[in-house]
Amino acid sequence: MKKIKLTSLYSSILTVGILASPGAFAAGELNIFNWGNYTNPELVVKFEKTYDVKVTVTDYDSNDAALAKVKAGGHGFDIVVPSSNYIPIWISEGLLIKTRPDQMENFGNVSSDWNNPDWDVGRHYSVPWVWGSVGNVVDTSMYKGDINTSAIFLDPPDELVGKINVPPEMSDVIGMALYYVGSEPCTSDKAALKRASEVLTLAKPKWLSQGYGIIEKFAGRDLGASLYWNGAGLRARQKNSDVRFGYPREGYILWMDNVVVLKDANNVENAKLFQNFIMAPENAAMVSNFAKYANGIDGSSAFMSSDLTEAPEVQIPAEHLANGHFLDTCSPAVNTMYTAIWTELLK
Amino acid sequence: MFVALISGPITMNSKLNKVRSKPFNATRVPTFFTFALVCIFILYAPMLPLVFYSFNSGSSLSLWEGFSWRWYQAAWQNSHVQEVTWRSLYLAFQASLYSTILATMAALGTTRTKKYKGQNLIYALINQPLMVPEVVTAVALLICFASIKVATGYTGMAYLVLAHTAFCIPFAYLPIRARLENMDLNLEHAAADLYASPWRVFRRVTLPLLFPGILAGAMLAFVISLDDVVITEFVKTAGQDTLPTYMLGQLRRVLTPEIHAISSVLLAISVTLVGLLFLMSKKES
Repeated sequence: MKKIKLTSLYSSILTVGILASPGAFAAGELNIFNWGNYTNPELVVKFEKTYDVKVTVTDYDSNDAALAKVKAGGHGFDIVVPSSNYIPIWISEGLLIKTRPDQMENFGNVSSDWNNPDWDVGRHYSVPWVWGSVGNVVDTSMYKGDINTSAIFLDPPDELVGKINVPPEMSDVIGMALYYVGSEPCTSDKAALKRASEVLTLAKPKWLSQGYGIIEKFAGRDLGASLYWNGAGLRARQKNSDVRFGYPREGYILWMDNVVVLKDANNVENAKLFQNFIMAPENAAMVSNFAKYANGIDGSSAFMSSDLTEAPEVQIPAEHLANGHFLDTCSPAVNTMYTAIWTELLK
Repeated sequence: MFVALISGPITMNSKLNKVRSKPFNATRVPTFFTFALVCIFILYAPMLPLVFYSFNSGSSLSLWEGFSWRWYQAAWQNSHVQEVTWRSLYLAFQASLYSTILATMAALGTTRTKKYKGQNLIYALINQPLMVPEVVTAVALLICFASIKVATGYTGMAYLVLAHTAFCIPFAYLPIRARLENMDLNLEHAAADLYASPWRVFRRVTLPLLFPGILAGAMLAFVISLDDVVITEFVKTAGQDTLPTYMLGQLRRVLTPEIHAISSVLLAISVTLVGLLFLMSKKES
């Protein structure tokens, strides 16, 4: 008797489950593979209505995970949003279609700073999504000195020792350390790499943690400083008004996430429509307002919320502009050395 | 006190040979109740802040700013989150159903029989997901399914269901096997003696007796499937995020108490479900 009750319970849940799954009655489909919590749902709805396309958004949490998934095949995605230092890898592996965004209708809106970058010359593959920087998020109630230097996390002042977080991002951390010792990222100069490794190893005992989720910690005043992305710095300042974002003068990192179309995409035309769609200023502003980062489209600031257009975390002050550099894609030999340094550091 | 309790019955035995020593009963140990309370507290206390902060009016995960339903409202309106939650539950349900059926068959086939050739190998195969690191299983499944997907063009939920069923089997298998080994064979022999066919014996005697083990196995499999991140992250295709992979994707971005609200709702559902099942099984005994 009980068995029958249970099987009927099971089967009713099963039926409800099947019926509850959404059906697609749109003319077309688009499958976006993006960073988690990075795609504005309102933007998706607007695109769906404009082109009568059903859009799915699937999340990833790192460039490596996205690359591994797509390389394995059978993924079902049309669009991915990798970071600039990975785009050359995607191109050389033959994973992308040359959609020629530079010939699309809205291409003229792309800012002249970003329409011909090193990682995608002439913009034959990619369209800017958002861009940002990596710098020092500092709680100035705990430290009143100069925050525009990598010494904040590589040679910390006494007030900050034991209150610093450094995210486990190999390329960014080793890159900034290399700038600090007077070299540059992706160098094969072993002496420079050794110096960078020593600096990091000496600094590590003075760090509190190597993780993410710092906004909460700054809000609760558990952290004094962190190397982190500028968007989080902005959000941290909105919760804790003493937080400021520093741009290390030794050299800090710029990054840009870009929208590309995959070679084995099922919906290439819809993907191209999406690439063109986000080059329109009002749509680029929707992307920015959700992700809280700057975009590469002229005219979008008219539609962006004021907390972005007036934030020194997003609009880089003129005196710091020259010190920001995009990361190159390191050669495999250099990558091996990076990994060795990183493994040592994480021990 | 402990020693006295154990040696008590033994000294009694030597004095009064007629008295048989009582088996050790944990609930009779004087500090049992305190220890039980401490254990329950350690296990469940971390969930209390989760539920508490889901009612936070601010967007902080750890700073209380006042009472509000806003995150429950946000979760209610967030169709993406609801979609991934349903998918998670549906997947866990299917995985637990299929893996429990398979595990029951496996348990019946590997216990209470004479040792046959290859039994150890079968045991190792059944429990393989427990022994191999999850990442290895995930990458192997990714490669295997990717070639099938490319060859057949089918990219539905079946791969996820298969993957989840596969790694849930050992979790369902072990409680069922334990229950089987403690079962009294005499009842089944008695039923057979009364002219019941093997299938009837199974349906009317074995299965009802086995039911607590099957229930435990099914619930364990459900929870393990609901919880899984690594294998799902590798095997999923477009539009197949589950709740854990959705939360993982947010790791480098912003986590709001909306996640707390969803988790509290899931907690309430599990507590209700477990309570219902408990009441139903209590009625039977």
